Amino acid sequence: MTDVEVRDLTKTFGRVTAVDGMSFTVPAGKITGFLGPNGAGKTTTLRMALGLVRPSAGEALIGGVPYHRLARPRRSVGALLEATGFHPGRRARDHLRVLTAAGGLPGHRVDEVLGQVGLASSAGRRVREFSLGMRQRLGLAAALLGDPPVLLLDEPANGLDPAGIAWLRGLLRGLADEGRTVLVASHVLSEVAQTADHVVIVNEGRLRFAGPLRELGETSGALESAFLNLTAVSR
Amino acid sequence: MIRSEFRKLGSVRSPWLLLAAGPLIVVAGITGLIQSGGNVHDPAVQSRALAHVGLAALFTLLFGIMAVAGEYRHGTITDTFLSSPARGRVIAAKLASYGLVGAAAGLVSSVVAIGVTAAWWAAEGGSFHPGAGGTWLTLGGGLAANVAFAVIGVGVGALIRNLVAAVAAALAWIALVEGIAGQIAGPGPARWLPFYASEALGRTNLSAAGHLLPQWAGGLVLAGYAAAFAAAAVVTTLRRDVT
Repeated sequence: MTDVEVRDLTKTFGRVTAVDGMSFTVPAGKITGFLGPNGAGKTTTLRMALGLVRPSAGEALIGGVPYHRLARPRRSVGALLEATGFHPGRRARDHLRVLTAAGGLPGHRVDEVLGQVGLASSAGRRVREFSLGMRQRLGLAAALLGDPPVLLLDEPANGLDPAGIAWLRGLLRGLADEGRTVLVASHVLSEVAQTADHVVIVNEGRLRFAGPLRELGETSGALESAFLNLTAVSR
Repeated sequence: MIRSEFRKLGSVRSPWLLLAAGPLIVVAGITGLIQSGGNVHDPAVQSRALAHVGLAALFTLLFGIMAVAGEYRHGTITDTFLSSPARGRVIAAKLASYGLVGAAAGLVSSVVAIGVTAAWWAAEGGSFHPGAGGTWLTLGGGLAANVAFAVIGVGVGALIRNLVAAVAAALAWIALVEGIAGQIAGPGPARWLPFYASEALGRTNLSAAGHLLPQWAGGLVLAGYAAAFAAAAVVTTLRRDVT
């Protein structure tokens, strides 16, 4: 059981405060939706949790340890950040082979995760031939490569068609049922309402709500009305 | 981590096309030297032919720039740092693997240079003496310049993370800035600049030969630049956010 804990996390870029004293816990064994309007600080928070952006204050801990102190980060955390992190001339299988070499992972994982995300038949194709949805699947394959107990996914449904979104929902549910910690940043509320057990809602860099989804109400429109209330611009 | 770097290199085509340009420049340069009336009976001309190996270092410089700035361009740097949050070690692995490839590229250029020079000398009725005119010093210096510029390239790519800007800055420096700085400051101070130092090291002698440093000093100066760029690459990469 590996929780993700964000404590008083703050990031300022020049005079802009992108994340402002954020604290919440992402529980293991559940799917947690990370919600907020564009520019609310979701991506910056994820990047701080992954050691890519240095916090101005506070910390993010993965099982009690900051990311840069993890002994084998790819075995502890799988991350999907954006669909652009590929060399267009590299084949899908080679992309993952680079990562197994860098992460000290066994080579047989490459074909396993390609099968898991439905790209086994495209393993030998160059990424420039991939659709956005296929790139998204390859990014998910990279996140799953180290069989990690924690998954931090930024807009994982981006570019997936309806069948792909249904597939993703099943994948995430299976991962959470295995006891993993699954955080899904998204601004597609209907998607999160169908998938998540727990939600974290942020706006303008600040935490607005963190807790079980059902606390926001049981009706189908409850998440949307709660979200709009919580993120209403305070002017 | 070094194995991961070599897998990155081995799985795309562009770096190899870039490196292949080095030996091609050597072939073209030596051919041009002979076609423009180079005297095959002069040992100094033999050394000038072989000195084209040092010019091929332009391509190991661009190759080194691609190592880092190319990762920022394609966004693969994110995955690289997720695998290895110790960024200093990532840059060290790049410096080591790209330095090695730079050495291999210099070696290929040297072999090509010897082959093409020997062929032209035979065709023109001269006799090619591998030991004459400081041949080995010229080739060794050229090879060292290939390594140094691969390392400097990694540094430039880490400092200027925009690939196009980094390549443009490097080419502008070589083609324009050093020449202009040389005219303003005079040949005395200019010979300490990196490209002039590499001319001394590779015994290229494109510029007024008398104003260059001795070969050994050029080598030391260039090694100093390589060390400074390597250190700057590590320091800036540790400090900057990856967004």
